[in-house]
Amino acid sequence: MSIQIVNVTKKFGNLEAVKDVTLEVKTGEFFTLLGPSGCGKTTLLRSIAGFNQPEKGEIYFNKKRVDKIATHKRGIGMVFQNYAVFPHLNVFNNVAYGLKARNFSADEIRPKVSRALQMVRLAGMEDRFPNQLSGGQLQRVAIARALVIEPQVLLMDEPLSNLDAKLRVEMRSEIRELQQSMKITTLYVTHDQEEALSISDRIAVMNHGVVEQMGEPWEIYNTPVNRFVAGFIGTTNFFEGTLISEQGGQGIVQVSEIKMKVSAHSPCVGEKVSFAIRPEAFKVAQEITEAERSCFLSLPGRVNKVEYLGFMTKYDLELCRGLSVKVVSYDVLPQHLRKTGETIELCYDPQRVLIC
Amino acid sequence: MKSRFWSLTTILIFLIFFFFMILPVLNLFTGSFQTQEKGAFTLQNYLSFFHYPSYWRSLWNSILIGLISAAGAMIVGVPMGYMVSRWNVMGKSLIVTLSTLPLMLPTFIAAFAWVILLGRGGIITKFLQTWGIHIGSIYGYPGMILVFVSQLYSYVFLMTLSGFSAVDESIEEAGCSLGSSQLRTFWTVSLPLVLPTILSGAILTFMSAIENFGVPMIIAQQTPNLVVKAYIEFTSEVGTHPGMAYTLSIFLILITMASLVAQRYYLSKRNFIQAARGKPKVKQLTPGKRLLASGIIYAFLIFTLIPFFVALVLSFMEMRGPVFYPRFSLQSYVYAFSRSARPIFNSYFLATISTLVAVLIGVPTGYILTRRKSAYSNALDIVIMLPFVIAGTILGIALITFFNQGWIVLTGTWVILVLSYVIRKMPFIARSSASILYQLDPSLDEASISLGVSPMKTFYKVTFRLMMGGVVSGAILSWVTIISELSSTLVLRSPSWSTMTVEMYQGVVSDDLGKAAAFSSIMIISTVIPLLLATKYFSKDKGGGILL
Ligand SMILES: Nc1ncnc2c1ncn2[C@@H]1O[C@H](COP(=O)(O)OP(=O)(O)OP(=O)(O)O)[C@@H](O)[C@H]1O
Ligand SMILES: [Mg+2]
Repeated sequence: MSIQIVNVTKKFGNLEAVKDVTLEVKTGEFFTLLGPSGCGKTTLLRSIAGFNQPEKGEIYFNKKRVDKIATHKRGIGMVFQNYAVFPHLNVFNNVAYGLKARNFSADEIRPKVSRALQMVRLAGMEDRFPNQLSGGQLQRVAIARALVIEPQVLLMDEPLSNLDAKLRVEMRSEIRELQQSMKITTLYVTHDQEEALSISDRIAVMNHGVVEQMGEPWEIYNTPVNRFVAGFIGTTNFFEGTLISEQGGQGIVQVSEIKMKVSAHSPCVGEKVSFAIRPEAFKVAQEITEAERSCFLSLPGRVNKVEYLGFMTKYDLELCRGLSVKVVSYDVLPQHLRKTGETIELCYDPQRVLIC
Repeated sequence: MKSRFWSLTTILIFLIFFFFMILPVLNLFTGSFQTQEKGAFTLQNYLSFFHYPSYWRSLWNSILIGLISAAGAMIVGVPMGYMVSRWNVMGKSLIVTLSTLPLMLPTFIAAFAWVILLGRGGIITKFLQTWGIHIGSIYGYPGMILVFVSQLYSYVFLMTLSGFSAVDESIEEAGCSLGSSQLRTFWTVSLPLVLPTILSGAILTFMSAIENFGVPMIIAQQTPNLVVKAYIEFTSEVGTHPGMAYTLSIFLILITMASLVAQRYYLSKRNFIQAARGKPKVKQLTPGKRLLASGIIYAFLIFTLIPFFVALVLSFMEMRGPVFYPRFSLQSYVYAFSRSARPIFNSYFLATISTLVAVLIGVPTGYILTRRKSAYSNALDIVIMLPFVIAGTILGIALITFFNQGWIVLTGTWVILVLSYVIRKMPFIARSSASILYQLDPSLDEASISLGVSPMKTFYKVTFRLMMGGVVSGAILSWVTIISELSSTLVLRSPSWSTMTVEMYQGVVSDDLGKAAAFSSIMIISTVIPLLLATKYFSKDKGGGILL
């Protein structure tokens, strides 16, 4: 089942929580709404579920318009941020709840519930009550309860935000595996960009009720369409300067006291340019080959701060007065490690510069 | 559709309160400005009120007794609450249970029993006289204050207990770490934090004391208060002055309303207590001190329950009018069941019907207050607070006057009794339902709806089920308090619709102690057994929600 959202606007008083959003989730796709707190993710998800009524726009499931249909008739499964597991029912009855509403017989319900509990690795816990379960187990019950009714569409609103960091990472890959094996169309909400990148087929980045960019995780990360997306996904160094020369698709930009190379569609000489370079796009010292050194512009950087994390090292480097960059370098051997105050050579491939 | 259902329900609840409470009370108000015969405008009632000492003194008596009782409740309740929350006294949950009993048991039974013990010709009075010791009279202020403090102190005690239990330990530690001594920290940090809560409890004591009817009726004698005076003016055989009764009622409503406003809008805004993260430290006393502290607390608890033991014991003695003989006898019960079986039935019947209706209206009201918030629900929130400020006697007078003539005549029927009980108890049910709903996550409803269950069915299958425990215990508490309701019953009953409380009261005033004791005992048992059942459903915070 696919989901089409066409020009949906939802207002709370004067506030437009969702502004004219149009997007499509394809059948079997894992689609994520990503954005900072208060950007309207939940509001959009609840419009799709039918818990609120948009002022404008249409919502379709498989070309069938659903926005006037009551929630309980939309055939959705939903997983809530705070689990919302019924405290007065045991695990079995929680999972069986939706099946009973669909008038399945007891004989049909039992195997379905068992299978669902097996899927979320809770077999044998049927008789436990919610107050006897851990947070992760409750979340699994909530997921099993939503999946057992074999919904056409699965909606999840920050389902992992109440779990601790380690469990969150575990559960997210489990959710992804379940979704893959059931091929269920899923709309997932999170404000955690790493989570979004790791489990989604496609991502829509939202800000102030508007979808800023839609695309596969690598597109969002590598070719952000604007400064907001570039800044929100991952860490980025932003630069601003004036283009002082251009030649064969390569330009030189004067940034503060230094010159930096950028590639491709830059504007005319003399104009302002702003661009971004990811920390991992920089190479430092011994990583730079002779060829790179001759071809790219290399820069000296004074080490302001070193953070050694084992598999990677984070540097804060000062290129000139008032201009510092964040750089990460992987698998640094002890003899290559630099201390605060020392100078280090760095360079980057102008192809990896993001003009924005 | 579903929103229309709730709008209609809201309107219906408004109409009920408007028609059966607000209009009758407004009628009192206008009545206080009218002459008795022609209904012309007059200020005569108010002029008389300020002219005759017997009237304005009753106002003074009400206020003074209320204030002294509240102060007394604080003197007892605050240290006790502090000890139970911060020291390792023995059997804390037993202490809490025993302290709630006096609030549930009828206060006028306590008044009656203290008169038996300490009144003219009381057991203790006589005993002391044989030794040549003469205690002062219990009638008037001393008796009322004794009864009110010993029966109502729990409002302050329970509030203090929850207050001190909720002060985050780290706040007190912060005080100490800044160089303040422990005692200084108590006076400068802990007490100010808890004070608004304590004062709320004191205001509840104050309001209960001045709205109380049975206690002053039995024990006040030369110092009647507003309620008693209003009742007498309304029913006196010598010649009634309904206009004066209305005027006295208006004064009482003004006081109670001012207290409620103080509590709701002044104190609740100064409520600094937040959910404690670190539970406060419980001080480990030395065994000797622990025993002493526990002993003092239990001695007081037993003291507050003495009247009820006395009533129970008396009911099994042989009686001749006001005289009793220390011999076991079931005579009082035989008499009660054979001659007055009807009032017993009436009490149970009226309490059951009224409770059911109160639940039927109260639970949806609680739902509207929490889940259907709007300008109307805010108004509803205020409207259902009004019964708290209208003493039972006053509501009784208002209802009987309003439904005495016109298109609906209810005076003399059982319906008018049910009406007054429902109006007075429904707010409790609504409040307790609302407090349960506040704790229920709304996404539980949404989860159910998302699983394909319609909103209506969801209310029944999820919301209602989860509320049931709290609603049942709230209903039991309402039932129990209706069983022991005297103030409005005495005004509204008719000869065929007398209740146990009325019989018990008449036993007291006609010196038929056997009858009074037997009905007291039946009432005590009818109260304690359901309460024990209710504690099965109780969790601590639910109890608090219902009580307040
Ligand atoms: N019921 C409501 N009434 C009024 N305003 C609301 C309501 N629900 C949400 N809003 C507002 O709409 C905006 C979007 O809220 P929404 O809950 O969709 O954000 P979100 O992206 O889910 O944020 P978060 O990551 O914090 O959950 C916010 O500014 C919020 O204050
Ligand atoms: Mg949200």
